[in-house]
Amino acid sequence: MSFLEKFQNLDRRWVYLLAWIFVLMPLIFPLGLPVPINKESQQWYKAISDIPNGSVIVFSPMYGTSGMPELFPMTLATMHQLWSKNVKIIVVGFWAEGPLVFNQLLNQMDPKSYGKVYGVDWINLGYIPGGESAMRAFGDDMAKAVAKDYIEGKNLKEFPIMTTINSAKDVNLIISIETGTPGLTEWLRQWQEPYKTKIVVGCIGVSAPGMAPFLQSGQLSALLPGLTSSAEYELLINRKGLAIAGVDAVSMSHILVVALVILGNIGYFVSRGKKS
Amino acid sequence: MELLALLGVYAAVFFTLAIYTILYRENPWYRFAESVFLGLAVGYSVAMDMKYVRDQWAGQWSTSTIMMIGYALAILIGLLWYFRFTKQYFYLYRWPLAIIVGTGIGSALRTVVFAQFTTQIVAQAKLNLWVPNNTMTMFNNIMIFLMVPCVVLYFWFTGSYRESAPMKIIDKVARYTMMAGFGAGFGYTILTRYSMFIGRAQYLLGMTPNPAEAQPAFIVIALIMLATMIGYDLMQKKKTTAV
Repeated sequence: MSFLEKFQNLDRRWVYLLAWIFVLMPLIFPLGLPVPINKESQQWYKAISDIPNGSVIVFSPMYGTSGMPELFPMTLATMHQLWSKNVKIIVVGFWAEGPLVFNQLLNQMDPKSYGKVYGVDWINLGYIPGGESAMRAFGDDMAKAVAKDYIEGKNLKEFPIMTTINSAKDVNLIISIETGTPGLTEWLRQWQEPYKTKIVVGCIGVSAPGMAPFLQSGQLSALLPGLTSSAEYELLINRKGLAIAGVDAVSMSHILVVALVILGNIGYFVSRGKKS
Repeated sequence: MELLALLGVYAAVFFTLAIYTILYRENPWYRFAESVFLGLAVGYSVAMDMKYVRDQWAGQWSTSTIMMIGYALAILIGLLWYFRFTKQYFYLYRWPLAIIVGTGIGSALRTVVFAQFTTQIVAQAKLNLWVPNNTMTMFNNIMIFLMVPCVVLYFWFTGSYRESAPMKIIDKVARYTMMAGFGAGFGYTILTRYSMFIGRAQYLLGMTPNPAEAQPAFIVIALIMLATMIGYDLMQKKKTTAV
């Protein structure tokens, strides 16, 4: 058996071992590779910094713990930029694990350190089950869709922030950080189309190609896809976090994948040539 | 660090590594972690749904008799879901299913044509094909202008004109367009999968803001798992040799 044939029948566990090495090594010994700032992260940064004072934002963590490695850094960075501004924030999730993710955020960021008061500047409404139907119900009448807030368990009208906010008509921007369904298309159908509410979406890399047409058509104001965009955004707001710490590992792992794809193709074509 | 929090860190490291042991082979650690994960995920979802139902009752549905009747009716219809598990009364399960599917489709259909269809066509028609100060945008727009109609035509299966010469060119362009799309999808999928792995690796290494206690836990638990898996393999080999 030739070397190439042996190589083609390589036990896949060697590939997994290589993947571990290519990810762990740059994390333990950072390489400091340059991170160029791309258009997506600049658009996202601009969309957040251009929000006028006094605007009402719906911030929706639409992902669970499985999406945290990729989406949590951008969630932290976006909330940092939002809390540095004078805006009202309604946190609501249509994914069951959304509140869990936001609790993790609160463990790492204290809104009080930004001078934000719960119930006045921001409120957490927790999780609303029902997917797209729930999104519609929430847009039509927030107080009906959510009886009590998530943190203090009080009726919404007891909070000053909710006295002037009743429905999607009162919301200026949706920030949805998401991994799937319900997600962008449901926001488009239930909020953007009927109420013309602006939307920006942060998503996992897999979803990005499917969302790009909505960015091009202008239905989506900004799109922040994946961990590398999060790292660029962290650089833009000058707040380095886990995303920037992980980009070396992203680069190295991609080099490994590209090398394996090339080797696989060489093996395939050589063995095909021999057979013919 | 508090004992409970430390236990949490050890549990997180244990379950992360237990799930990754599938890369080596199917084993009891993996099966245990998989079952615990599924149980916890379902339990958590049920608890969150129940909390919502309880808050709705306390917050608004218990305020008047009519509301109470409406709430009770909704609960009763909801309970009909469980008739899926009986053969005799299976038909009752179709009622809540019909309501959910009907309301879902109804609310989606009111805007789907505008949100996902006509707006996309308008955006395609409005493409600016002459952007002299930005060559890359101009190139992108021209490519979109040509490629999108080709892909749409590719899926137009009927008619003998599919065998005509222009259609053969269109088919080729469409295939290349789709391959480019799938390639982008594959690339982003790799990015996502690796990002997930990198996130867990950062946790295992105790990188800030993750707890630093995760690093010793990683070494200890990884060694224990490795030793037990090698032991398990040897045991299985002995068994097969004995048989």
